Amino acid sequence: MSKISKMPTSRGPATVFLSCLLCVSALLGQVSAEAKEGKLVITGSSTMAPLVSEMGKRFESLHPGTRIDVQTGGSSRGIADAVNGLADIGMASRALKPQEKDLYGWVIAHDGITIILHKDNPIQTLTDDQIKDIYTGIITNWKTVGGLDAPITVVNKAEGRSTLELFLHYFTLSNRDIHAHVVIGDNEQGIKTVAGNPHAIGYVSIGTAQYDATHGIPIRLLPLQHIPATIETVRKGIFPLSRPLTLVTKFPPTGLLETFIDFAQSNQVNDLILKQYFVPIHE
Amino acid sequence: MLRQSRHVQEYGPTAIIWAAATMVVVPFFWLMGDLLWNGWNHLSLSFLFSAPQNAGREGGIGPILMSTLLVVGVCMGVAVPIGLGTALFLSEYTRQDHALGRLIRASLDVLAGVPSIVFGLFGNALFCQALGLGFSILSGGLTLACMVLPILIRTVEESFRAISRDQRLSAAALGLSTPTTIRTILLPAAIPGLLVGGILGLGRAIAETAALIFTSGYVDRMPESLMDSGRTLAVHIYDLAMNVAGGNPNAYATALVLVGLLLIINLSSSWITTRWTSFNQLPA
Repeated sequence: MSKISKMPTSRGPATVFLSCLLCVSALLGQVSAEAKEGKLVITGSSTMAPLVSEMGKRFESLHPGTRIDVQTGGSSRGIADAVNGLADIGMASRALKPQEKDLYGWVIAHDGITIILHKDNPIQTLTDDQIKDIYTGIITNWKTVGGLDAPITVVNKAEGRSTLELFLHYFTLSNRDIHAHVVIGDNEQGIKTVAGNPHAIGYVSIGTAQYDATHGIPIRLLPLQHIPATIETVRKGIFPLSRPLTLVTKFPPTGLLETFIDFAQSNQVNDLILKQYFVPIHE
Repeated sequence: MLRQSRHVQEYGPTAIIWAAATMVVVPFFWLMGDLLWNGWNHLSLSFLFSAPQNAGREGGIGPILMSTLLVVGVCMGVAVPIGLGTALFLSEYTRQDHALGRLIRASLDVLAGVPSIVFGLFGNALFCQALGLGFSILSGGLTLACMVLPILIRTVEESFRAISRDQRLSAAALGLSTPTTIRTILLPAAIPGLLVGGILGLGRAIAETAALIFTSGYVDRMPESLMDSGRTLAVHIYDLAMNVAGGNPNAYATALVLVGLLLIINLSSSWITTRWTSFNQLPA
């Protein structure tokens, strides 16, 4: 009996529960008071989400009382959410397709990737087919494409990187076809790998590559289809291996929506775009 | 020759069992070593409390830690009462072959095997859209609760069933009602099982990515209410590792925090269990 009389300790958890529930209801009560105005929901491309999040934070600090909520899920989801009204703005890391022409697209930045070689490598240009053959292991020596007699070191991106997707899509390859000697994660790592190996070939974001090449890192950016790989050609949308980062709305934007899209397209966010290794639309 | 085969018969299985056990331990130490090696340097008190900057490459995980605790809090706050009630219903109020009981058990077993991304899409459709909660900590917590309930209920039910029938008979003989028996005898005796169920659920909840990315969302601002969207630790790790170039160091540090949190929860629960059982062991 004396043991059983100790049992009331089991009230402990019950008390904790009650207080938890009280907290929850208190927090919920707070919600209804909150104004829904001044809030934008943006969903879509996971490539764009980190950039647009940063833009949102700067926008919030410039316009007190506004809230920019960014969610991910992929470009198709972004467009679907913008169409059915779940989101105010969708994010798509591609141009709008012909069947999406009734939507409004607002390009805020570009993402371009380029093939890089070591500066000491005499090769000045490669055709798309040669690049494809190098990455699939058909060409294994620089001599075959008119270079030195040296084995090619193929540098590939790790699974899940958007640059990898873009690269594979452009050359119509699957990641399994690629015979890589080095697998790298981010752009900087790719540039360091190629800069440290005169016989390596790799691909990275143009923004980072051009910055490093002009700051003394021994790499060369190869043209694609005779179009030079520069921030300028990517900005103009003529570089083949690039894509526009697009905000999508269902209606012509007004009010806060318009203010935010104007802000995202202004040169006030250039530093944020460069920090995410994309190409701004302004100089 | 005979001696040798005897030798093999005796020591062979022993060696295999030792090897199997070692192989289980190696990945654990490998993983922990990798996390510590890559993440320890980036860990500091300010990392735990400051807000992420530059898409999480810089700054800390303060708001993310807070969102995680809130999401898990909502999840457990909803799942534990419902789970406990259902477990009591299954073990104390129905016979094992009761039709409704069997239906509940069967549906729980199916739910336990559903991939978490399905729970995520379900939560998005039900809580975020149909119930209008939007991307919010509340939606995330409720989705997780749905996901955690099956495992919680089955563990708790088992711990009630493990209590000897004699105790229930003695209580009945003393004229105690079922609710009183539950409150004074069964609940205290089942506490270790409750904790194990809770920990299993909590562990699944805190490490969840797929169910949360479409429900509690991606926003890394400090949450002001349960209706705010909030990014959890696992989602943050996923984003840093997959979407943010140069995010790896902070992804490692965040993973270290997540594993540390799980370790603390596990250790404290096993400590509570030992304390509890040493207090409440009824004399044989």
